[in-house]
Amino acid sequence: MSHAEQRAQQSNPRDTEEETGQSKRIEVTDSAAIPDKSDKGLFTAWRVSCFGAIGLIILLCSVKPDPYLDILLFVPDGVLVTFEVTMLSIVLSLIVGLITGLGRLSGNAFINLTASTYVEVVRGIPLLVQLFYIYYAIGTFTQIPPFTAAIIALTVCYGAYMGEIFRAGIDSIDPGQTEAARSLGFSRWQTMYHVIIPQAMRTILPPVGNEFIALLKDTSLVSIIAVSDLLRRGREFATSTFDYFETFTLVALIYLLITLFLSKIVNIMENRVTPYE
Amino acid sequence: MWKKTLFAFLLVLVCASVAWGQKTIVFAVDATWPPMEYVNQDKDIVGYSIDYMTAAGKLAGFEPVFKNTPWDGIFAGLQGGNYDAICSSVSITEKRKEAMDFSEPYYEVRQALIVPRDSDAETIQDLKGKKVGAQIGTTGYFAIKEVEGVEPESYDEIGLAMRDLKNGNLAGVVCDDPVAANYAKQKEGFQKNLQIVSILDTGQTEHYGIAVQKGNEDLLQLINEGISKVKEKGLEEKFKKKWIK
Repeated sequence: MSHAEQRAQQSNPRDTEEETGQSKRIEVTDSAAIPDKSDKGLFTAWRVSCFGAIGLIILLCSVKPDPYLDILLFVPDGVLVTFEVTMLSIVLSLIVGLITGLGRLSGNAFINLTASTYVEVVRGIPLLVQLFYIYYAIGTFTQIPPFTAAIIALTVCYGAYMGEIFRAGIDSIDPGQTEAARSLGFSRWQTMYHVIIPQAMRTILPPVGNEFIALLKDTSLVSIIAVSDLLRRGREFATSTFDYFETFTLVALIYLLITLFLSKIVNIMENRVTPYE
Repeated sequence: MWKKTLFAFLLVLVCASVAWGQKTIVFAVDATWPPMEYVNQDKDIVGYSIDYMTAAGKLAGFEPVFKNTPWDGIFAGLQGGNYDAICSSVSITEKRKEAMDFSEPYYEVRQALIVPRDSDAETIQDLKGKKVGAQIGTTGYFAIKEVEGVEPESYDEIGLAMRDLKNGNLAGVVCDDPVAANYAKQKEGFQKNLQIVSILDTGQTEHYGIAVQKGNEDLLQLINEGISKVKEKGLEEKFKKKWIK
């Protein structure tokens, strides 16, 4: 996966910042390009892909309802499962990520080492292997339903990635902010929650949005552990009808559409959090 | 220099094989279906079907090459021409016949239901409202889907479904009877926990056939010749004794 390299690049934004002297935004291009008003080309690219995908789905279903419409009617519960897995995992991984990020910045050597080791171990194991491990290997000792196993695996994996983003984001805030807050009598926790994190959120949000979309795409891996997500529904359809081309064309288009919509939402959220700049 | 040597070597090989008149047929195998076809500890693909086709090749004059291929893309690969034929315990069904051609049947199977030893279920009807697993795109999976009220779960490999049955996430698994017997009677770690309770009534018995691209008559003829020669020589019994206990 190229994720790891990109994450490694983002891990210390202060270096690049000092070199360029530019804004504090962490640039990660992990997933679908998030539309940005200032970037005219991308904005139209988003529109082209979005309306292109919708148009193509409608066209295929109306021109050749057998099998395209059949496929479209076969997969909706899979789309729902994909959504559920994504949403639950993202919420949980944000919590895990925040704790990990703070742990990585902790002055306490034990906490710091624990958080760092967790990140190191999880980043070193492919998500697919983690899924197999949690479901089939740990399942030997205790019974874990597939849906829960999928969410645990994605949370553990993305919690570590999120942790790195949180750490980098908090780290990117000027130490002067902490000094100022502390000299005004804020405690360390107050400084963190009232001064540092609100500012860090602006830096953190774009990469978190990217992770969100990357996570959605990675949920296609959970089909390996018998979670009936979009990809598995598609594969079930294809293996019984042999319409491989038609099925995977439609599955790809649906994934694209979901990703494009989510990137739009992330973009709107970003604009909300950064009203001035 | 090396390139030239290699080229000359390959040329000799090609000429030699032409001289022997041996036709090579590439068979796709999903080697996760013991005892019909699976990967042994020496990483070789072995099993009943493999022995059968190797013998057929010897008798009809072709050399089989087995290519391990994941099941859920195996038919797409045949359509795309990645290999000549599929020798992977493919049951001949009407639906599949529309998409590809089949050789003479070479093995007869039925769908067996496996449940944990402590289960009370006797037929698949007893598992209503519960999850029953099978490998994706197999006749076992289609058979589960036919039963009202049972929740079908599809797996990439039958071994994963068996593992999940053992772990307690499934109420039963449906697959071809030789495979079911292999897990329930022989497989270390499974045979203590699992048992075959019934044979599903799917209307008729199923037969394995070798699948080839639609319209590939020459190849089909060659394979059929091999299969009928194996049958004539009575080798089937020998293979059954060796692989299916």
